[in-house]
Amino acid sequence: MGAQIAAHLVNAGVPTVLFDLTAREGDPRGVARRAIEGLAKLEPAPLAAKDLGGAIVPAHYGEDLALLGDCDLVVEAIAERLDWKRDLYAKIGPHLKDGAVLATNTSGLSIAALAQSVPAAHRARFCGVHFFNPPRYMHLVELVAGPDTPADLLDALETFLTTTLGKGVIRAKDTPNFVANRIGVFSVIAALHHTARLGLSYEVVDALTGPAIGRPKSATFRTIDVVGLDTTAHVIGTMRDTLPDDPWHAHFDVPPVLAALVAKGALGAKAKTGFYRKAGRDIQVLDPATGEYRTSAAEVDPAVAAILALPSPAEKLRGLRASGHPQADFLWSNFRDVFHYAAFQLGAIADTARDLDLAMRWGFGWAIGPFETWQAAGWGDVAGWIAEDIAAGRALARAPLPAWVGGAAVVQARGVHAAAGSYSAAADRLVPRSTLPVYRRQRFPDAIAVERFDRGTTIFETDAVRAWHLEDEVAVVTFKTKQHTISDEVLDGVERAVEHAERAMAGLVIWQTREPFSFGANLASLAPAVQAGRYDEVERVVARFQRTSLSLRYALVPTVAAVRGMALGGSCEFILHCDRTVAALESYIGLVEAGVGLLPGGGGTKEMALRAADAVKQGPTGGQADQFPFVRAYFQTIATATVAKSAFEARALGFLRPADVVVAHPHEILHVAIGQARALADAGYRPPLVPTAVPVAGRTGIATLEMMLVNLRDGGFVTGYDFEVALRIARVICGGDVDAGSLVDERWLIDLERAEFMALVRDARTQARIAHTLATGKPLRN
Amino acid sequence: MSRTLNDAYIVAVARTPVGKAPRGAFRAARPDTLLAHALSSVLARAPTLDPAAVDDVIAGCAMPEYEQGMNVARIGVLLAGLPDTVAGMTVNRFCSSGLNAVSIAADRIRTGEADVLIAAGTESMSMIPMLGRLSLNAEVFARDENLGIAYGMGLTAEQVAARWKVSRDDQDAFALESHRRALAAQAAGEFDAEIAPIAVRERRPDLATGRVSERETNVAKDEGPRADTSAEGLAKLRPVFAAKGSVTAGNSSQMSDGAAAVIVASQAAIRAHGLTPLARFAGYAVGGVAPEIMGVGPLAAIPKVLRTTGLALADIDWIELNEAFAAQSLAVIRDLGMDPARVNPLGGAIALGHPLGATGAIRTATIVEGLKRRGGRWGMVTMCVGTGMGAAGVFERV
Repeated sequence: MGAQIAAHLVNAGVPTVLFDLTAREGDPRGVARRAIEGLAKLEPAPLAAKDLGGAIVPAHYGEDLALLGDCDLVVEAIAERLDWKRDLYAKIGPHLKDGAVLATNTSGLSIAALAQSVPAAHRARFCGVHFFNPPRYMHLVELVAGPDTPADLLDALETFLTTTLGKGVIRAKDTPNFVANRIGVFSVIAALHHTARLGLSYEVVDALTGPAIGRPKSATFRTIDVVGLDTTAHVIGTMRDTLPDDPWHAHFDVPPVLAALVAKGALGAKAKTGFYRKAGRDIQVLDPATGEYRTSAAEVDPAVAAILALPSPAEKLRGLRASGHPQADFLWSNFRDVFHYAAFQLGAIADTARDLDLAMRWGFGWAIGPFETWQAAGWGDVAGWIAEDIAAGRALARAPLPAWVGGAAVVQARGVHAAAGSYSAAADRLVPRSTLPVYRRQRFPDAIAVERFDRGTTIFETDAVRAWHLEDEVAVVTFKTKQHTISDEVLDGVERAVEHAERAMAGLVIWQTREPFSFGANLASLAPAVQAGRYDEVERVVARFQRTSLSLRYALVPTVAAVRGMALGGSCEFILHCDRTVAALESYIGLVEAGVGLLPGGGGTKEMALRAADAVKQGPTGGQADQFPFVRAYFQTIATATVAKSAFEARALGFLRPADVVVAHPHEILHVAIGQARALADAGYRPPLVPTAVPVAGRTGIATLEMMLVNLRDGGFVTGYDFEVALRIARVICGGDVDAGSLVDERWLIDLERAEFMALVRDARTQARIAHTLATGKPLRN
Repeated sequence: MSRTLNDAYIVAVARTPVGKAPRGAFRAARPDTLLAHALSSVLARAPTLDPAAVDDVIAGCAMPEYEQGMNVARIGVLLAGLPDTVAGMTVNRFCSSGLNAVSIAADRIRTGEADVLIAAGTESMSMIPMLGRLSLNAEVFARDENLGIAYGMGLTAEQVAARWKVSRDDQDAFALESHRRALAAQAAGEFDAEIAPIAVRERRPDLATGRVSERETNVAKDEGPRADTSAEGLAKLRPVFAAKGSVTAGNSSQMSDGAAAVIVASQAAIRAHGLTPLARFAGYAVGGVAPEIMGVGPLAAIPKVLRTTGLALADIDWIELNEAFAAQSLAVIRDLGMDPARVNPLGGAIALGHPLGATGAIRTATIVEGLKRRGGRWGMVTMCVGTGMGAAGVFERV
């Protein structure tokens, strides 16, 4: 995991040295070097840009320890052996610089015990920083104080982990497995127990414990396969060995089925066999009854599915508990035992219920944490049901619910989360969020349960958008549509927001309250006019879209797109037309129109043609450089509907420009975007002049791209219609059927883009693609 | 007025080893440098010849631009230290450029207007990959019949494989045999006479010391043949040019860098300069086919050259058929009924590499030295040429 942490550090622009053992033969740094090279092959990619691996310096303990003298933070991520860690600390101690922080990425060992093995000079600057795997993508980092760690060090580290690395930090107490793994592993233990008790099949349990209850698709057993059965057995073993007094200790023996599979070497994904295995194209699942693998066929009982579909969380839990169906019994039992365990352990492991819930969201991908689920279903009722089950011996342990569950603070707040804060079992009161200055950069953090944040002052609000501000001079426009798709009304709203900002504000930011940034133009709203052949109407919408994009470009105030998550199609075109983009590192930006037989018609294709011209025109060569490689690259990106897999990739593809800002933490983009708008305004902002004398690749460029396309078509790599769609994209990006090097202007390109877009709209094969995608959510290759 | 043609003879040959592109031995060696090496090496092999007696140097190059632009032949002449009085001309007919250079040189002698020329070829696919800076005339797509111009070479090989029914298995077996023959030939030292080893100097920044790190490597052997090629390995490769095709990286020629030069002289020059003839240039022909099946170009060229030389295919003892692709090689071999044993006895471009415009000169060197060493009277160098052409040249051992 060390190499992956190093990868994320360089993602964040932090110079990083990766130490590993001295290689037995060859290059002594070979072990670290190979680990760095291996990063490029991992999926999902630990590196946010391909060439970032080169920024990690490989090192070995044999002769490179002096490099530690430059390091401000040293993260130890070696195997979970106290003796090995002690040896390592002794070895590196003399080389650490004064004031360096030494952190362990241990997931299970006691920080206090480890601190004893840190040389005295560095003990006070030792703590736990526990990343979740894979560290680039898992939001959670647990920060664990050592016995002597000063508060200011922890605060500085929390700030660094949050803003620089973009992580969600919770402070965990120094208890075995800390917070997320303590509850998460318990949840697995409970699931294994109830699976066996009720005789359910593994794939049914996965069908029940995945998205159906707001958990990741890999659910329970598929997750164990991915994590590794041996690793899972190991962390359960840690619970057994380190928590002798835990009332649930009797359940901490490694379940027989897990032990048996590990003994057989069926370690999960890495061994290609675990609870599941692949047989050709088939996914097979282990049948607990026969011990053989068979075709996986998960079926959730319709009655249970109906309960899960109930909108009211209270009805849902009540229904599961009352059903009597083994699948419902499983779910209720699992919820109950996790609630019971989380409540019992809260005071010991976490500062607040908020921290525990966030840890489960960020570390395990649960949509909401256990206390939130409990509270949503009715705190008192559920507490009563749990108590009943404990009394009846149905719960996994006899320990009663802690007294605070029925105590004044919680009863009054109707749960552990309230506007005033979240319950701390240690303090027996509601505690507000951290006041660490770094969190001022997050106006809208992940809200817990009933938590509400100040939404600012509304400027205007329609069914499609809300324009508002945070008591400063920058307006924010937010889409209210599903997946923030761009409908006619959204176009109205954006234009109105631009007008308002020009009149009364210093700038405009486009920002969404949650991911995605937007899935692009609303195809469904356009489809009826397309299918009915009302092409004039369609063309008006397209012209409208282009006008809105241009209004972002030529607004008299700076416009800034604040992006996180997917930003596809038409929304990418908005990004391309804003003066600046502030993108979270995890932004997935792309022009995907070709997939439905269209081309970017909101100014996007035009914009890439302009950028290709700018790439050579604006440079020191004064237009002497060859424009075509840029034309070809942008063409390929659009024609293949390439989506960038990070903000850095978006920059490499040309969607983001050098001045655009990449921010590690997705919740900080609004803060940064408003700052960027303000800074642009302060600099005496004027919109760019309309580009004139734009050189285009013309008919030679089109022919050269067509040559490439002919080979793909006649080689059977793309369909005849893929070819035609791509050729129309080529025509726009090359400026049409004119001589190479002809000079055009923006209007020429905009009109060409719209004309070629309309030619596609009129084609029955594009219409079939749109209809198919709307009906199935999948592309049609006709 | 009628005049009798003079005979033109090859009197010396030299070639660089063939390096793999783009990361092989010649990754940093410029094509003009490679050419200069071939020129000075071939002159060194005719020590009695005063370089000032050379009338012209004609060098083939398939993508004569950038590093191999600037009329690379003349640059090569000057870099090789030949007198300013020696001229230079670059010729381009894609993959037959090097052979075409030989035929032009021979023709200058045959007409009696010159006595000594050097024919050569050079190509760095490391620096100028196939197609170079591509820019296509839009008129190509104005008529369907010209669509084949747009076809990549691999796709034309797929067309040939389909029309001439060359199976994937046959292509892979042919590729494997090419490597087998090439390795055997290397082991037997069959290429030693023609190859002029070259010292390649690389200058890389040593970032640790802040100095320029110079490394000189002596390259003496073709890099292409692979001892680890196997039928199973070849069968696993995916088709590259057509989704459901049969042409793979394994049964196609390799991308390569290399250069070669041969001295062509008249009877009079041989006497005057004390030279030793190796082979007589007997004739050359080119022909055209549809661009989308360019791989069968030799079908148009070989009958022509046999007619003009008055030979039958059965007379030819040794055929160097450029293996652009196994698919087109097999189509040509089968269509003309060639004896596979006489075709590429030392392996072909699938194993030895194919530095486009240099190949014709390189294989001329191979066949001239080969006929001398292994016996046999008539040799042929032939190849397919992009956009639908074929070329064939015939040599007679003397």
